[in-house]
Amino acid sequence: MRDAKYTHRSERWLPRRGFIAASGLGLTGAALGITGCGPADAVLDDRIPLRQWNPFSAGDGDRIIQMHQRYQDEHPDIDFRAVTFEWGPPFYTKVAMSAAGGRAADVAVLHMSRLASMAPGRLLDPIDTDTLADFGIDENVLLPHVWNQGFHDGELYGLAFDTHPHIHYFNPEICEEAGLLDSDGRLVETHGVEEYLDMCRAVQEVTGDLALSLDTTYSWPFFWTMYRQQDAELTFFEDDFQIDDEAALNAFAVIHQLTEEGLTPRFTNNPGATAVLDNGQAGLLFQGNWEIPSFEDSGLPYSAGEAPDLFGNRRTRADAHCFVLPHQDDRDPERTRASLAYMAWMLRNSLIWSEGGGHIPAYQPVVESDEYQALEPHVHYAGAAENAEFEPDVWFSGSSSRLQSEAAAALNGLHTGSSNPEQALEQFKASLRTLVTTPSPV
Amino acid sequence: MATTSTPPRTTHAQSGRRHGPAPRPRTRLGRVNPGITILYVVAIAAALVWLVPLLWAIATSIKPEAETTLMPLRWLTASPTVEHYVAVIQRGELLRWILNSLVVSTLVTVLTLVLCVLAAYGFSKCEFPGRGWAFALVIGGILIPPQVVVVPQFVLMTQLNLVNTYWGVALPQVVMPMFVLIFKRFFDAIPRDYEDAARMDGAGHIRILLNVVLPLSRPIMAAVGIFAFIGAWNNFLWPLIVIQDPDVMTVPVGLATVSSDHGLQYAPSMAAAVIGALPLLIVFLLFQRQIVTGVAGAGIKG
Amino acid sequence: MTTLSKLSNRSNKHRGRASAGDVRESGRWAGPWFILPFVAFYVLFLIWPSLAMLGYSFTDRSLAGGPVSWVGIENWVEALGDPYMWRSLWITLLFTLLSVPPLVALGAALAILTDHARRLGWFLRMAFFAPFVLPVAVMTMIWTWLYQPGFGLINQYLQMMGLQEVEWLGNEGTVLIAIVIATVWWTVGFNFVLYLAALQGIPRETYEAAGIDGAGAWRKIRHITIPQLKRTTGLVTVLQVIASLRIFDQAYLMGGDFGGPNFASRTFIHYIYETGFVNFRLGLGSAMAWVLTITMVLVSVLLFRFFTRDGR
Repeated sequence: MRDAKYTHRSERWLPRRGFIAASGLGLTGAALGITGCGPADAVLDDRIPLRQWNPFSAGDGDRIIQMHQRYQDEHPDIDFRAVTFEWGPPFYTKVAMSAAGGRAADVAVLHMSRLASMAPGRLLDPIDTDTLADFGIDENVLLPHVWNQGFHDGELYGLAFDTHPHIHYFNPEICEEAGLLDSDGRLVETHGVEEYLDMCRAVQEVTGDLALSLDTTYSWPFFWTMYRQQDAELTFFEDDFQIDDEAALNAFAVIHQLTEEGLTPRFTNNPGATAVLDNGQAGLLFQGNWEIPSFEDSGLPYSAGEAPDLFGNRRTRADAHCFVLPHQDDRDPERTRASLAYMAWMLRNSLIWSEGGGHIPAYQPVVESDEYQALEPHVHYAGAAENAEFEPDVWFSGSSSRLQSEAAAALNGLHTGSSNPEQALEQFKASLRTLVTTPSPV
Repeated sequence: MATTSTPPRTTHAQSGRRHGPAPRPRTRLGRVNPGITILYVVAIAAALVWLVPLLWAIATSIKPEAETTLMPLRWLTASPTVEHYVAVIQRGELLRWILNSLVVSTLVTVLTLVLCVLAAYGFSKCEFPGRGWAFALVIGGILIPPQVVVVPQFVLMTQLNLVNTYWGVALPQVVMPMFVLIFKRFFDAIPRDYEDAARMDGAGHIRILLNVVLPLSRPIMAAVGIFAFIGAWNNFLWPLIVIQDPDVMTVPVGLATVSSDHGLQYAPSMAAAVIGALPLLIVFLLFQRQIVTGVAGAGIKG
Repeated sequence: MTTLSKLSNRSNKHRGRASAGDVRESGRWAGPWFILPFVAFYVLFLIWPSLAMLGYSFTDRSLAGGPVSWVGIENWVEALGDPYMWRSLWITLLFTLLSVPPLVALGAALAILTDHARRLGWFLRMAFFAPFVLPVAVMTMIWTWLYQPGFGLINQYLQMMGLQEVEWLGNEGTVLIAIVIATVWWTVGFNFVLYLAALQGIPRETYEAAGIDGAGAWRKIRHITIPQLKRTTGLVTVLQVIASLRIFDQAYLMGGDFGGPNFASRTFIHYIYETGFVNFRLGLGSAMAWVLTITMVLVSVLLFRFFTRDGR
């Protein structure tokens, strides 16, 4: 009985299955035919195709979409498409692997600090500065050290789009109460570690809790800021490195002191660090300018300025977003030219980018424009671009790199109070030794 | 192996009075037995538990986004909406990935069947010097897990200039020594008389393969084909490595790596998950019986 | 879907046939032509890469290209001395130990249940097998959503039962278990089908004979069904161990790019991927891949030995 029933059923189903299989094959054939077994570029379209990859989500994502919309409106001759990937290692891996395969996107956005690790010359193709100059971009319209960051072996590989430094946020109400604001409502300037600690103590009086919020899971930027304020160098050689022990210890001591006095949280991640300022547990925050959109959204009182002067100047750790040309085996001159024109357009129109994202435009005419000069609090930290301290130029440094995670691990003990500056230095040097002896893959 | 062995050891002390799932319902219709009721309750409960994740995904996908994180959670929303489905479809990427998956899986399935059937026929029905060695070598390949050779395979694809192409995704997936083994085993079991009769009529190998062997092999081809198709559709590691261009991505890779511009929103992402799951669920529902009997027929059951 | 348990039967049958002496003159050179297409693909996409991988493991080949030079056994020394590699191997083995027993036992239990509840056959087969056809990214999206702290369904039910909320994927101690649970849900369907096929092969008469002897259902399962499934269990276990050792997809997607909190769910294949493609070190990655291949071949051979001896 059962068997008969099922035979009957499968007979009934057979034609339908045949049909499905046939249509599957048909569709496949059609798709293969249309696309020529590769990405579907607009075959019947005489517009120039341009593919852009970026890692921008959240606030940055909204801004880049807005800019791209406008770019497309102004460039009907370009078939432009942008793709957003998850930020972090997956994005860099995708760019690297597609470049290794010789079929990458036309333009990608990287962190300037990752340029060295992306094997310029092999995974990245050089940007022709003469063509770029045709579109109005040369060393005269960018800050020299920002422009120069993009060079490798005398060729331009990364065109800076912005600078994104770590800045000093503050809650005006708390700081007012602590008597730390001047007549313009700006935070008073401090000089040296002691004055800064006094400022923190004054804030703590008011909050009754913490003073300075930090992302303790990622405190490399704070360390690098203090280290570079002392003019100290971190140099890497073939299989050795040189660190300024004293300067490093000075920087570690500041973190140690802040923890000892309960001025900074013992454990916070990126969102947590912002929340601590938002909810009034702390009055100050040292964090990247990328938090500007979230403070704007929260509607709570906040302002920001340049990094505090702890060791005689206001240098601060910074990175930049830059445009690159991932390697293509068969680079089309027309598309490459369109790519460079796109980069130039983005730079010239970067007001939208900085307004929303808080980044400082690389393109100086925008910084000098009246519109930018009217942006609050952006204009108060615009000077940070001049004080920008980029990452060490080695393959393991840069945004979400191994150097940063090793540093974070070493500093973690200082933040939780489980180690002292000497121990932290020892751990940090041990991990640097491991990194420097690792054979460079680039 | 012998299926009639192992008679039940009947010890009188424990005859029949144990609880647990009771005799099969097919004994007699209409005879209500508490054991059967328990059996069915357990079965239905297990099935429902198994369906919870899928149902929850569907329930989430038709909620307005604001309701998705409202505590306490509710299964049903007062204002169901298809807006998330519309949004996902309008973005277009997912449909593109489904098409890509269809292309890749079809390529893999067709190529796998052709290559494996030919090879199995050669090993099963042809005599030639070195056959034993060649067969052992092919079967030895079962021991090399495809996942561990992705590094050199990627290098090979860069050299063949196939990174970011359909062929690049499909080709390494068609090498399935396992399927050769399954087909050969099946062909071995086809009685010799059939071929001999055909040969009397002057048929060569090609005609024997087409007119004798293949018609007899339909069920097994269906089973292997379905598994090759599902395998290719759901393969993740290799497509993740060989494709970076979203225009060529397959469903799993696209869903996993391309970020939706709106940050993390649960309702739209569940809508995308449901749409991403649909094509194979439909295939499965249509071919359910073939899958089960196919596994039996393929001799995988051992 | 690899099976080893058949390898032994194969060759015997084969020899018997060849000795029948039916070599045909006409088809003498046809065989090589039939196997040639497969063998060509096989050599190009499996054998050659495996050998190339051995070669790479002695070089400093980089994803970034550039000159490749011979480095001797440096990669092997670095890989074998790398505690993170061993940790990822241990996580892979732990995943296997945690996932195989429930995947095999539940597969059998669900199949027996389905085999008895005949009238629900279609529905039960659908419920238990359907998850298997989900693309891995769909599966992980759904489970990440279920595991969500704060407003995930699972934590809501835990709280309703008066239990503590668990931060499933965010906690070093639970992340692997969470992945195992999701994996069991996702892939048990395959084992379920294998068992179902085996159950259909048990002759009805065996049960009927037992029924006449007055055996109850439970005893029938214990004394007929389970012994009859012994061979299938051996096969399913071998297949499952091999599949579990290849864990990457769901752990990578649920644990994140860094392999979970404090690398608690970074599997071996993930580590190879990270070494070769994220950190560009194809040479070192190749050495590691060989370590995994050797481990897996050893485990496969041991299991095969164990179950074939057991099955006879």
